[in-house]
Amino acid sequence: MMRARKLALPAALLAAALVLALSFHCVTVRSDMAAFLPAGGTPAARLTLAQLRGGPAVSLILIGIEGAPAATLARISRVLAAALGRSGQFSLIENGQQALGGADLRFLFRHRYLLSPLTTPSAFTTRSLSADFERLLAGLASSAAPLVEQYGLPDPIGAFSDIARTWANGSNMREVDGTWFAPHRNRALLLVRTRAKGLDLVAEDRALTAIRGAFAAARPRPARLLLAGPAVFAHDAAHAIRRDVRMIAIVSTLLIVALLIWRFRSPLVIAAIAVPILLSISAALLATELVFGFVHGVALGFGMTVLGVTVDYPVLLIGHRKFGEPAAATWRRIGAAFMLTVATATLGLTGMLLSGVPGLSQLGLFAIVGVLAAAAATRWLLPPLIVLADLAPVSAGEPERLLRIERLRNRRLLGLLPIAAAGLYLLAVGRPHLEIDLANLSPVPPHARALGAALRAEMGVPDVSQIVLLQGADAEAVLQREEATLPVLARLRRNGVIGGAEVAARYLPSAATQRTRQAALPAADVLARRVARAEAGLGFRADAFSAFLAAVEASRRMAPVTLAGVKTPVLAARLQSLLFGGGDTWFGLVVPRGMTDPGRFAAAFRGMTNATYVDIGRETNAIAARSTARAGRWLAIGAAAALVVLALGLRGLGAVARVVAPIVAAGLVTVAVLTALGQHLSLIHLVSLQFVAGVGLDYALFFARRQLDAEERARTLRTLATCNVMTLLTFGLLAFCRTPLLRQMGETIAIGALAAMFFAFLFAGPLPNTSSCDRSS
Amino acid sequence: MLAVCLLAPGFPPAAADPAGNWLEVLMQRLAQIPARSANFTEEKQVVALTRPLLSHGRLFYVRPKWLEKITDAPQPETLLVNGDRLSLTIGGGAPKILSLASVPAVAGLVDGVCATLAGDLPWLRRFYRIVAAGNMSHWRLELSPAGPPLTGLLRTVTIEGAGIDIKTIAVKQVNGDREVMTISPAQ
Repeated sequence: MMRARKLALPAALLAAALVLALSFHCVTVRSDMAAFLPAGGTPAARLTLAQLRGGPAVSLILIGIEGAPAATLARISRVLAAALGRSGQFSLIENGQQALGGADLRFLFRHRYLLSPLTTPSAFTTRSLSADFERLLAGLASSAAPLVEQYGLPDPIGAFSDIARTWANGSNMREVDGTWFAPHRNRALLLVRTRAKGLDLVAEDRALTAIRGAFAAARPRPARLLLAGPAVFAHDAAHAIRRDVRMIAIVSTLLIVALLIWRFRSPLVIAAIAVPILLSISAALLATELVFGFVHGVALGFGMTVLGVTVDYPVLLIGHRKFGEPAAATWRRIGAAFMLTVATATLGLTGMLLSGVPGLSQLGLFAIVGVLAAAAATRWLLPPLIVLADLAPVSAGEPERLLRIERLRNRRLLGLLPIAAAGLYLLAVGRPHLEIDLANLSPVPPHARALGAALRAEMGVPDVSQIVLLQGADAEAVLQREEATLPVLARLRRNGVIGGAEVAARYLPSAATQRTRQAALPAADVLARRVARAEAGLGFRADAFSAFLAAVEASRRMAPVTLAGVKTPVLAARLQSLLFGGGDTWFGLVVPRGMTDPGRFAAAFRGMTNATYVDIGRETNAIAARSTARAGRWLAIGAAAALVVLALGLRGLGAVARVVAPIVAAGLVTVAVLTALGQHLSLIHLVSLQFVAGVGLDYALFFARRQLDAEERARTLRTLATCNVMTLLTFGLLAFCRTPLLRQMGETIAIGALAAMFFAFLFAGPLPNTSSCDRSS
Repeated sequence: MLAVCLLAPGFPPAAADPAGNWLEVLMQRLAQIPARSANFTEEKQVVALTRPLLSHGRLFYVRPKWLEKITDAPQPETLLVNGDRLSLTIGGGAPKILSLASVPAVAGLVDGVCATLAGDLPWLRRFYRIVAAGNMSHWRLELSPAGPPLTGLLRTVTIEGAGIDIKTIAVKQVNGDREVMTISPAQ
């Protein structure tokens, strides 16, 4: 019998843990910001964002190798590229060797007269050909003769080398032993793209492991490997957070176990607290999956934070139990306050649920279901278990000491001072600083972002943050629009506004342009006569230009090259990131390089039909700002609903004011302190403040209960102090993390929870001499 | 191999004088020369042209793989190989720098010539099958590529010499081009 009593709680804990593991197994976790933010303003911006966040740019990994002599770096680069090619995980591997691989070169060579702007009527005149032939003759006499024979004789006008130059330019990389090197430093460079989509974090992780493994296998000593790119950042951020959290989790768990055992003298109390939490997370996960079809990583992380408030629920129950008391008796004393706490917290969270921002809606749903599940578990599941295990505080505390502490409330007017100071400070500053740049929300450390920018600049991979988007009914229409922008881009480049630009039409002319070029190619007999006249006296054999004649004739008849027709890996990869769409909506990107004056660049495209200048950073931030504003409005509505419930539950405006004032005061003081510390308020702070409001509500409502004897008041004070210390030991400890996101969360919660406890004690509880319980006792 | 020997009048068959013997002695003596310079004249027969192309200039070699070929006329040009790096400057143009690995035909030729000048038989055998004929005072090495990619580009490289002096280098390509370089000591 005794054993069964002892075993009930651990068994419940085990069952709850199993339920949670099963729930995690059932849900899909996604972590792309596109799923968290609402869709952008214009359809164009929306599609660009989707493309840029989920598209080819996301699966790009930039690799640098440095710290060894150039020849060693070049060797490692070659070995690495070969190993990555064998792994089959990458759709693109460029290190200078494969910049244009065999298949790509053959494709360009076959279509050279359709793709090169050198194909004009004047290039095929006798006079022009004769100059070309003389050049070839000099080339054959030189040591470059093998190249001249391979590429020059079949293409005297040089269309192919012109195309190859177009494809090669865009970077100012050096070449060392045929591999890419940074222009101004001893660093070998590689560019790879994973076959997996950027959203597939597991596959991206596998690809990163493959790169690190291949590097280690290349006997790299003493060279170092540098990695950058969205996938690398996601991976590193996850690792940094995990490292941070592991340390904090160990410290925090030890301290909390010590605290609880000291307060309740039984390790079982930890199981009692864990059961509702585990069940609440399970319920929240499953509900979110059911409604949204997936759980967003950010909603999950922040949702668990908000659920931190439910840790208090079992403590409130156990802390108020008298030794040997049946569960129903404890409930009679705290039931009303507890139910009001849960109802108010739930209503406060509905604001998020209805905000219309997909990520926040998830977060709201997650938190609401979690709070309700934790409350239900505490109300119906926990009481019998606690009675079985006989959990209760060691003692309620000495009433003498309680009275001494409660006398502090006589000076509660002094408590108005910090509130007034905080208010005046915020008024003086104007208002708290709001974080508007989403980049600063990212958990990626600034030095990693700087490395990414440096590698991208060295490789000439354009930064897709400011682009022009051209729209058309099909790829052909887009390409024709792009061709019209080519002179504009050339002018901007001459004026130094941009260093150059990536645009699909430079690589793939529209079918119309290709047909114009075909029309410029002379008929077989005409060209044969001109070639014969041009080579007269130069000493070429009669059939020296037969390949040239055949290629021109073939080009006259071939179908123009289309996007779908380009299948070789490097060409297709580059074109598909610049020209994409479906149905009757196609988009082309003009991606500038080396931008010096965004204003003038944008102005050059203003007024052009179907051309939109998009500043991705600004666009994303605008969406985030709109979302935050909308979320703020709904949070206010949620808070108002919570107030109504409070007013109904407490019956009396004075009581409502006593409960609400500490929460408002805690929020005000927290925001003022954070602002004074120079922090910019963001979504992280918003969520943390929501959490603070939740625990503040617990404190205030429990302090504000009426008609309590001194013993019960002492129990409440000790229980709430336990809750408060637990909050500080769990979430407050995050303030010691290195990851900015976690540190900010920790600081906000630590300051907020302390302030909430202080103000709730001061304002929500009754004054010692007027309280009804003194009269009754 | 017998045919090759028969087709080479003026050279006693290798069997008469144990080939390995004088070849190894020759290689050892070549290996002792750290650097050399010479003049050359070259006659190149390109399939696409009806008449041969003639040129002349200077050659410099430093063990093991530094080779410079300066053409003075008719068109000035400098070809410099240093290890795996190849630089080609034609006329007054900018030097074009390549990795030898990216131009296998040139790389094979460079390996054949440099391995011979360095007196490094294992190096030479890595790329070529060797047919040696003659004796120390009048020898000929006919090199044929040992495997791809050289087999697809070069038919033979024939090097003739007397003692430690190289006299001619003749190259036959698979596409039918051929060139003969005649080397004379620097003045």
